[in-house]
Amino acid sequence: MPKIFRLRTWLLIVLPVLFFIPIYWTFVIAVGYHGAAYHLPPVWVPLFHWEPVLYVLTHTHWLRYVVNTVAITAATIILVLLTSALAGYALAEIPFKGHSLYFLLVIGVMMLPQQALLVPQYVVLFHLHMLNTYAAMVVPFAANSSSIFLFRQFFKKVPVSFHEIARIEGVSTLRYIFRVAVPLAKPAVATSILLTFIAAWNQFQWPLIMTNSPQIQPIELALSHYMQTYQANWRELASAALLALSPILIVFAFTQKHIVQAVAGGDLNAKD
Amino acid sequence: MAQARSLPQSPAHRSPALPVESWRTRIKTSVLGYGLILPSLLVFLTFFYGPAIFLGYIAFFHWNIFSANSKFVGFANFITLFHQPIFWQSLLNTAYYVVVLVPVTALLALALALLLREGLNRGRGAISRAFIFLPHVTPVVATSIIWVWIFNPQFGLANTVLHFVHLPSLNWLESVHWALPSVMIYTLWHSVGLYTVLFLAGLASIPRSVIEAATTDGAKGWRMFKRIFWPMLGPITFFVIVLASINTMQTFSQIYTLTGGPHGGAGGPAFSTTTDSLLIYQTAFLYLHFSLASAMSIILFLLILILTLVQKWVADRYVFYR
Repeated sequence: MPKIFRLRTWLLIVLPVLFFIPIYWTFVIAVGYHGAAYHLPPVWVPLFHWEPVLYVLTHTHWLRYVVNTVAITAATIILVLLTSALAGYALAEIPFKGHSLYFLLVIGVMMLPQQALLVPQYVVLFHLHMLNTYAAMVVPFAANSSSIFLFRQFFKKVPVSFHEIARIEGVSTLRYIFRVAVPLAKPAVATSILLTFIAAWNQFQWPLIMTNSPQIQPIELALSHYMQTYQANWRELASAALLALSPILIVFAFTQKHIVQAVAGGDLNAKD
Repeated sequence: MAQARSLPQSPAHRSPALPVESWRTRIKTSVLGYGLILPSLLVFLTFFYGPAIFLGYIAFFHWNIFSANSKFVGFANFITLFHQPIFWQSLLNTAYYVVVLVPVTALLALALALLLREGLNRGRGAISRAFIFLPHVTPVVATSIIWVWIFNPQFGLANTVLHFVHLPSLNWLESVHWALPSVMIYTLWHSVGLYTVLFLAGLASIPRSVIEAATTDGAKGWRMFKRIFWPMLGPITFFVIVLASINTMQTFSQIYTLTGGPHGGAGGPAFSTTTDSLLIYQTAFLYLHFSLASAMSIILFLLILILTLVQKWVADRYVFYR
């Protein structure tokens, strides 16, 4: 039987298309003509009318929200890299007292159910006077278990002699970490950046609870408010959604292999 | 979560880089270590372990964030909770959501992984995999917006499809019976790629020799799956089910967004989509009953713990670990 008629071949084409339809449809409605969302049967061809997208960017506060989100995401990434490099190095190379206890603490964070902690976390932020600040959306995520582990794994692969030489040459530990060890752990840096970017950009529930002023809210939260206020305005809604989506789509398009492998935690291609 | 599993289980760190000579060096080493872990330790203690301990305190007090006079009430918060019908309703909704969604997600992910495996081995399929995985990294609110529209009874794609196959149309998010299944469909779309990729990693780790031996013995199709893939995938299946259970028990954002509507009253219609995490949110941050919400949080905490332990117990009996 020719390959083209095989069910498997067809499924491999049809299923990805099915998964992509919702995202594609957002695009169609956003750049379509005014009533595109209400058309029956549904329209499938985008018209590339960019006015709604431009309108959302210029006439509403969306630019502000985009800037907020970019700032929050960038700050989180930088802090995560710093804390993970330091803690990862400590766990990989330094036999300090309490080493294994800290190892358990880092694992333990991943076991805590996030939904059950929101109330006390809110109280802690309240007492630290952090509610409704940018810091509230950055500092709690400035350290991340999986990044720490990732850096630890890579630092363990750096030959011991490197460190010995650096020590004899009188290079300080911090300098060694950031000048020698981190550049040797580039894959860990890339993976941490990607995963932190996705997590930070997609934040919704945390800012929903921890902030209330519109000036500092990130795009996902703004989108949710916008949705509740203007539910009938489908073209603008879809355009706004597209603005929140596109950075993720663009980054994913270029790094999908890396992201998928980072999430799966290893090579996905069978060894044959 | 997904990251943790993948880390090689290396035993204690290898020979220390800093030779331990005297107590002075040892103290210096420890001080250096503490200095390096301090930033992350502070974050973990302040924002995770501190709150986790504090949770136990709030739940047993009649307590208000805005006033200083809190008083110990023992289990009163829990008793109040048990008298609220909405609390039981939320548990039922959560159970329904988890019991349906977890097996469906796991089975679909397994099927997709088996389908993609063949393609990947022949060098194709990487693109298909990317498209199936993509929804998992998309922001929930942004994609929920389009799903609200897909579920629109009048103009939505969902009813167009039903109409096309000559089935009666549904009211989806506006119907008491279909609102939670609609959320399940969204969550399935959003998360199945994650578990597919985990299964793919599991499939990739099956030694080539095993598959070749089975093929030589004439195994293919269903027999191949039953005798080779299924037992070899045991550990990853267990992991997927635990992870999916933990994640679905804590679903929040899509329920909040999909069922929110123009009035913002998420959890409807008629509380049919009020799950535990949504109720915790509403109790604490809408009605400001922090103590009640904490009691609910502790129950959620325990439920997740019990479910995971039960799954572990089952896995220890039936999963084949190489």
